[in-house]
Amino acid sequence: MASSPDLSSTDPNPAPEPAGGVRRGRVRYRRAAVLAVPATLVAAGLAILTAEGALGVQFAISGMPFTVTATELNGTGFEQFGGLDNMADGSPNAGDTGGQVLVVTSAIKSATLTKLCQSVDLGGTNLLIKAGQGRTKVTATDLTTDSTELSGNASFDHIEIGNDASTLNKANARGPIGVFSQQADTVHIANLRQTNYATTAGVFKLPGLKLGFSDSGC
Amino acid sequence: MAEPGRRTARAAFRDWRGRRPFWGGLLLALGGAEILLTEKASLKVVMHIGMQGLAGYLLPALMLLLGLLVLFNPAQRLFYSIVGVLVSLGSWLTSNLGGFFVGLLLGVVGSCLAFGWLPDQEARVSRRQRRRERAGA
Repeated sequence: MASSPDLSSTDPNPAPEPAGGVRRGRVRYRRAAVLAVPATLVAAGLAILTAEGALGVQFAISGMPFTVTATELNGTGFEQFGGLDNMADGSPNAGDTGGQVLVVTSAIKSATLTKLCQSVDLGGTNLLIKAGQGRTKVTATDLTTDSTELSGNASFDHIEIGNDASTLNKANARGPIGVFSQQADTVHIANLRQTNYATTAGVFKLPGLKLGFSDSGC
Repeated sequence: MAEPGRRTARAAFRDWRGRRPFWGGLLLALGGAEILLTEKASLKVVMHIGMQGLAGYLLPALMLLLGLLVLFNPAQRLFYSIVGVLVSLGSWLTSNLGGFFVGLLLGVVGSCLAFGWLPDQEARVSRRQRRRERAGA
């Protein structure tokens, strides 16, 4: 790849021009605008569609603890089991944990959340994502979270407690064999508060999306 | 003008930059890297999900690759930059809102700079100089 012919290198010894300096490549702004204008329009369109809740967006975050709160969560197809999350080797977040965090993995096949708030502590400032503050609620599918803390008032329908984590079938996650787990057909949690290490491949629809920085988290 | 054999590394780097859309490629690659950094989800969990989870990694990896290709194979910059802008925009949906918007912005700006770049241009004339020339004419 590096040996591919460079442009304008046909002349091995370009003679220095007497005035105005050497001819170099540069950006013609009008030409760049040909691509920049439609790209900006598409980006704005994506942001608007997401904020209206018409378009789902996917999250995969890990390594940094982040907080999720919601006043209400209703879900169908719920699984929960314990596990260990491994951080990347030499991760600065490892501290004295040896790079491992004991987590509770919760998987919900489809969920609706009211007044979702998600914050990531970036050290000094927090990245805040808020959605579903209005009438339309946030919906999420195949939501898989690894949490260290989970609180709220929960109620379940048709709960099965004490399954082996590898035999779960209500949602799309499977745990390691020989680990305690539970699953339920439906779940309802009021005043949900989660400290998560990972959210994976949850497709969120975020009506009323607000993205911003704040001194305080959720 | 220094002799070719005694040119400093700095001047050589300047020449190298002059032959390719340097900032465009660099910004596109950096955008891809930024998105990858925001989503270091453990691979084990990604495997549970399958293709859908993989797309979140595929798009920023492509951005990184396209940025490097713009730098090292500038002849094909039109194709790379058009694919780059599409992939950057797609990362809004698949990868943490495009690395919380930062990586998406870098990728789109980089792609546009690479698209608008042309080789072998006249040296840029500063506005003051142009005005002086017009006054002199």
